[in-house]
Amino acid sequence: MSKVMIIDDEPFILMMIEDKLKKAGIKVITLRESVNAISAVKDEKPDLIILDWMMPELSGIDLCKMLKSDPDTAEIPIFMLTAKGQEADEQLGIKCGVARYITKPFSPKALLSIVEETIGKQ
Amino acid sequence: MFKQRIIYRLFLILLIFALILIIPFSLTIRKEVKNMITEEEETVAPSPIEKSIHDKFSERFTDSIIVFSFYTFVFAFLLSLFFSKNLLRPIKELYRGAKALKEGNLGVRLEISTEDELGEVTKTFNEMAASLEKKTEELKKKELYLSAMMDPLWVVDENDMITDINPAFTKLFGYGRDEIIGASIYDFLDEENARIMKYQLEEREKGISSIYEISIIAKNGSSIPVLITGAPLIKEGLTTEKIGILKDFRKEHELRDAIRESRDYLENIMDSIEDELLVVDREYKIIMANKAVKSRKGEGVIGDYCYSISHEMAAPCWYEERDCPAKRVFETGRIFRTVHQHKGAAGKRVFHEIVACPIKDSKGNVMHVIELMRDVTERREYEENIAQKNKELTAINSIASILSKSLRAEDIFGSVLDKLLEMLNMDGGGIYLLDEMSRELVCAYHKGISEDFVKVAGRMRMGEDIPGRVATTGQVITSPDIGADQRVERSILKHSGIKGYCCIPIKGKEKIVGVFCLFSFRTHIFTSEEERLMTSIGEMTGIAIENIRLYEKMRQLYEYQRQRRVDDHKNLLSLSSILAAALDIKAVMNSTLDLIKGFFRADLVWLLERDNENLILKADSGLNIKEGEIIYQKGTSSIEWYAVEKKEPIIVPAFSSEARFYMSNYISSNYRSAVCIPVYVGEKALGAFTLYFAVPKEPKEDDIHFLQIVSSILAVAIERSELYGKTLLERERSETILQSISDGIMTVDTKCRVISMNKAAADMIGIAQEKAAGNQCCEIFNYTDENTDFRWSLGTCLDKALEKEPANIEAELTTINGKKLSVMISSSPVMNSRGEVSGVVNVLRNITREKEIDRMKTEFVRVVSHQFRTPLSAIVGMTEMVINEDIKGAKTKEYLKTVLSEGTRLSEMVSELLNIARIESGKEVFREEEIDFSLLFDDTKRLFSNAMEKKKGKLTTFIEGDVSGFKGDKERLFQVIKNLTDNSIIYSDEGCDIRITISRKDDSIELKVSDNGWGIPDEDIAHLTERFYRGKYGQEVKGTGLGLALCKEIVTRYSGSMSFDSKIGRGTTVTVTLPYRRRT
Repeated sequence: MSKVMIIDDEPFILMMIEDKLKKAGIKVITLRESVNAISAVKDEKPDLIILDWMMPELSGIDLCKMLKSDPDTAEIPIFMLTAKGQEADEQLGIKCGVARYITKPFSPKALLSIVEETIGKQ
Repeated sequence: MFKQRIIYRLFLILLIFALILIIPFSLTIRKEVKNMITEEEETVAPSPIEKSIHDKFSERFTDSIIVFSFYTFVFAFLLSLFFSKNLLRPIKELYRGAKALKEGNLGVRLEISTEDELGEVTKTFNEMAASLEKKTEELKKKELYLSAMMDPLWVVDENDMITDINPAFTKLFGYGRDEIIGASIYDFLDEENARIMKYQLEEREKGISSIYEISIIAKNGSSIPVLITGAPLIKEGLTTEKIGILKDFRKEHELRDAIRESRDYLENIMDSIEDELLVVDREYKIIMANKAVKSRKGEGVIGDYCYSISHEMAAPCWYEERDCPAKRVFETGRIFRTVHQHKGAAGKRVFHEIVACPIKDSKGNVMHVIELMRDVTERREYEENIAQKNKELTAINSIASILSKSLRAEDIFGSVLDKLLEMLNMDGGGIYLLDEMSRELVCAYHKGISEDFVKVAGRMRMGEDIPGRVATTGQVITSPDIGADQRVERSILKHSGIKGYCCIPIKGKEKIVGVFCLFSFRTHIFTSEEERLMTSIGEMTGIAIENIRLYEKMRQLYEYQRQRRVDDHKNLLSLSSILAAALDIKAVMNSTLDLIKGFFRADLVWLLERDNENLILKADSGLNIKEGEIIYQKGTSSIEWYAVEKKEPIIVPAFSSEARFYMSNYISSNYRSAVCIPVYVGEKALGAFTLYFAVPKEPKEDDIHFLQIVSSILAVAIERSELYGKTLLERERSETILQSISDGIMTVDTKCRVISMNKAAADMIGIAQEKAAGNQCCEIFNYTDENTDFRWSLGTCLDKALEKEPANIEAELTTINGKKLSVMISSSPVMNSRGEVSGVVNVLRNITREKEIDRMKTEFVRVVSHQFRTPLSAIVGMTEMVINEDIKGAKTKEYLKTVLSEGTRLSEMVSELLNIARIESGKEVFREEEIDFSLLFDDTKRLFSNAMEKKKGKLTTFIEGDVSGFKGDKERLFQVIKNLTDNSIIYSDEGCDIRITISRKDDSIELKVSDNGWGIPDEDIAHLTERFYRGKYGQEVKGTGLGLALCKEIVTRYSGSMSFDSKIGRGTTVTVTLPYRRRT
């Protein structure tokens, strides 16, 4: 069973995505804080990570850079799910190795299909 | 045989030795044995056997002896063979060597085989052979040299017999070696040469070498001249032989003869030349001289020095810096011509024209100099005569020229006297001029006379002394020696030490004007020609002096006239410059009239201006009437009206005779005459000015002309002044407009030089308006490199505008204070009446604020959209899931609750934005109620209790002093405290310490919110209160960027202030000051 990890400080975002993905038979791990995310990723070894950009203490983009620079986690595809809708932000995300850049608000259905597509590819 | 071979001799010696030794020895033994046997037989009778044995003994012994002898012989032979071989080998070797030497093989060397005497002999032989070889080599070489010698050679023994010659000798003289060896050398010499030879050979005997010349009779009988280098051959201290090397001297002889011939020929030629001719060597010794010289100076000139002959001097003439021709030729190597004065017979001076030519050797060195001296005394004297005449003529000419050219008496006296002194070769002199008033002669110029003498003899009455006498009679007086002159016994000059003296009258056209006096300390005989000359010079000078006096009068007259003109021009110039420079005509008009009044010595001058129908007073000099007063109404028959209408000057020489003119009451009726000049420009009559005189006066035409010029200048000045006034007004108006415009305006000419810059532009750039004027427009901004782009943009705009095309470019300007401004440059061409671009107006609009607002709007949209997206995610996403029935049952409610709360959050955000907008617009009404800060602080603490718990921090509040009685809107003040506290929590780490203090400060309350958080970067502080501004750290946390903006708006409404004090990593303190009393 595929495993997706979602990291966001907004509980309702976590809840919404978790519910949607679980229903589609995907195992979901949610994290509200980004600071301990790296060890959690290493423990859980998810097939995909969905990251929020704006998080206190450690921003999503910095976390993404750290994951991509670690050989253990570099291969895991990362979706950036963020309210930062400007093109420059998206460019920066892609540059940091983000697989898909999804701006809020988003459709859980559309997100699911992208997730399935990405997991399926693997 | 034995004589020839040593071996045989040796053999024989040995054999004889053997025979001599063996035979007697054997015979002795045989005899002794026989005796012994006989004696024994005598004692003991032998038996027959024994007897026979005894008898046979001799026989046997003889046989044995023979055999023994044979062996001895053989042995001796062998022994001799052995010894002879050893002994003979070195001897044989020596023999071979000797034989080889004999055959001429000097290189032979023998092997030394034994160490004995024979070995020594062999070694000595080898050394001998080597020495012989060396000597022979040397001999051979010498022989070769002798044979190879080109010059003949003979060797003579002590008896003067020839012992040897070389092949060259044979070749030259024809004698074979055999013929001459042993012959006496005197056999080949004639008597004279034999004598020389004898003497020379005796010299050789003494061991002296020498070179001498001799003639030897050759085999063919001819006498061959040779140069012999003779040297003695000395052996053991004695001259044994003499050697002579003979050099064929026939060529030299021929040459010598030829030289002798040519010398004789040359001497003949030289002697045939009439001019004197000398040849001198480098020591200036005469080595040749022709007959002409010898006849003048005697035969002994040869060998004497040229200077001694020519100048009778002991040293070369060039020592005295004379131009020595010989020296010149030696130095330059070129022909030199000159004329020298030499002493002739009886000490008479002789002039020689000398042509000196070099005689050079084959290398080009000057060896001798030929001096050809032609007596040019006669010519010279003639020339000198001509020169003297020329000199005199030149003097007269130059005197005439001085007299005709110079018109200054001092100049001509000096020059004429100098020339006279020079011409007559006198030592000094003076010029006396006749003073018509005192009838005295006064010394006007002198030379070579002491001032003391001039004091005594500087003035003389007519008839007194020589000058006085000459001035009276007009006759020249000359004296070769004044001291001895009987005629002038009472003269002051008698005992002055002077000798030659002359006094010449200076005659004018009709009378004597003075005298020239010349003197010499030597006797001077004045020729009649000189006297004539001096007389004519005196006459010339007299006329010149009269001319000068005439000229002086003319000049004074002219000077007066010229001065008058100069004054006229000066006045005009000063007038015109005053008027041209003056922009306010009224300010200078009076002084102008004063000037005219003074110049024409008028008693009143006024200027009346035509104003509609009247003539009003414009300016005056000498009256006290208000400007603008009506002097004459139209139709009055005043001279001014006449002048204005006729546009020509009106001259009234006497009012008494011109009753038609009416005179204003303002002026005195005492004026007797007047001149009125109309003032007009083109056809437009501006008025008139009048000069009134208290005496009858009729100005000259010149004066009228001058006044007309003044009038024209005045007219132009008045017109220009009015025009300028209007222009000034116009300009002031535009300047006011220009300066009051808030945009920077800079006008430039077609060369982009700044004409003017308004205050706004100066303020914007930060430089003074005056500094900019005249500078290149773009160069004004080059105080920093950061303006490179700005200058480029401005340049582009200017270029376009100069092409008649308005241009706008937005650029960033760095002011002189380093501030950065966004500026819109708008350049528009300024056209003149001909449609040409005469300049450019550049408008620099500061659009920094607009740009900032623009940026803030963009930021607002960005932030707002960002802040709206998160709650929208809940609304959009969750609604979709509910609709799609992804969620069922109780969860649906939870979803809808979230949708609701996020919707509310969105709504609050919108309200906050509206709040700011409302406060900002001033539409929001603030309540006025007394504030209880302790209640406000309690609410704050309650509000942030969860957040503080989460941060594990501490929030403390303080109230210091009496803060009661402060009135305001509780909600709004709470909003300020809430926002500041919220920021402190957000921008701090766990364990934060937040303190809120309210205190009384005079008439204000002071609210301080401090934390120990991250701090604020310096660059953010200035922008903190701007709406939507998110600082460096704001990017990473959620917020609207509206909190501090809202605080600022509220504080501003309370006429308060807000300040930030922050240090990175240490924390921030925000201080809000709110006054008790506020503007309503």
